[in-house]
Amino acid sequence: MAEQLLDQARDIFEGQIDFEGQKLAELLLNVALTLVGAVACFVGYFLQDIKLAVYLALGGTAAVFVLVVPPWPFFNRNPVKWLPVGGTTPPANLVVDDKMFK
Amino acid sequence: MYSSIVRLQNTFGFFTTVAFAVACIIAASDLFSARTPSVGVLKTTNVQVVRGRPHYYSSKKEEYAIIRFSLDADLSSLFTWNTKQVFVYVTAEWPSAGGSGSGQNATNQAVIWDSIITSPSADHLANLGPVAMRKLRRSAAGKSIDPSRGRLSINNQRPKYQITHPSSKVANQEDVVLRLHYNVQPWVGILTWNPDEDFLKWKTLKGNLSRKFALPGLKKKDEGKTGTRS
Repeated sequence: MAEQLLDQARDIFEGQIDFEGQKLAELLLNVALTLVGAVACFVGYFLQDIKLAVYLALGGTAAVFVLVVPPWPFFNRNPVKWLPVGGTTPPANLVVDDKMFK
Repeated sequence: MYSSIVRLQNTFGFFTTVAFAVACIIAASDLFSARTPSVGVLKTTNVQVVRGRPHYYSSKKEEYAIIRFSLDADLSSLFTWNTKQVFVYVTAEWPSAGGSGSGQNATNQAVIWDSIITSPSADHLANLGPVAMRKLRRSAAGKSIDPSRGRLSINNQRPKYQITHPSSKVANQEDVVLRLHYNVQPWVGILTWNPDEDFLKWKTLKGNLSRKFALPGLKKKDEGKTGTRS
């Protein structure tokens, strides 16, 4: 029981996502954070308000953290399909470490 | 991007890159704002030379010049979103007796007065008591920049610093001029002083020299009585 709970806790903490999700997370991160920087810069310049620029940049960055870091379900929409366990026989004449497998 | 920790690290890493790029852009934006400060009036109103001691226990007596002055200047164009504070100072300058090559400074220069003008974004950093701080904050309530703070109009200002010379002699010195300087301290970027030549959109500070004047001789009746406040 405790082991099960620990496993669940570790899964949540590690927050693993699938390969497509990783690609999406990286894209989201780069685009969103660049946008945040650009918006903060432009708004600050045109309103001549550097405090606003700093708050926009920090707030936007916090939002990007929330968007990218947790393992949201949309990062896990393409789970890896593993082959069934023991479903197939090993191919003939498979050589590993100079030993023939039969 | 496999686990949460990796995503955390990558996000923070890219955040530092973006922050640096934004800081560079902010620093560069200074170059696109025109700086056209001007000086209306810079003149002395009362000049005295007194003898005094550099500190209370000193047996050495030095001559100190007390130069009161009036200043009318418009530095409002220095205040942009990236301006943290502007340091304004007035120096007195006079040529050295031996001129250049005499082993002395070719020009003697000493600050007689200075002032820090904060931007509203930096008001909380000003070294003021609570009442003056509240007044300063209220003066720019709701404003992100306040160029009107750059308009200086000072009449018959007492100098903050009485000046002397390493030789301890300043009385009867001729060809003294006052010069106004400024130093813009940005939130991000480099410190800039008033340029000697026009630089892109930054114009020189014209009329920042007073007329030449001479320091008077020592007042005989004050001799031996007047100490300095420094």
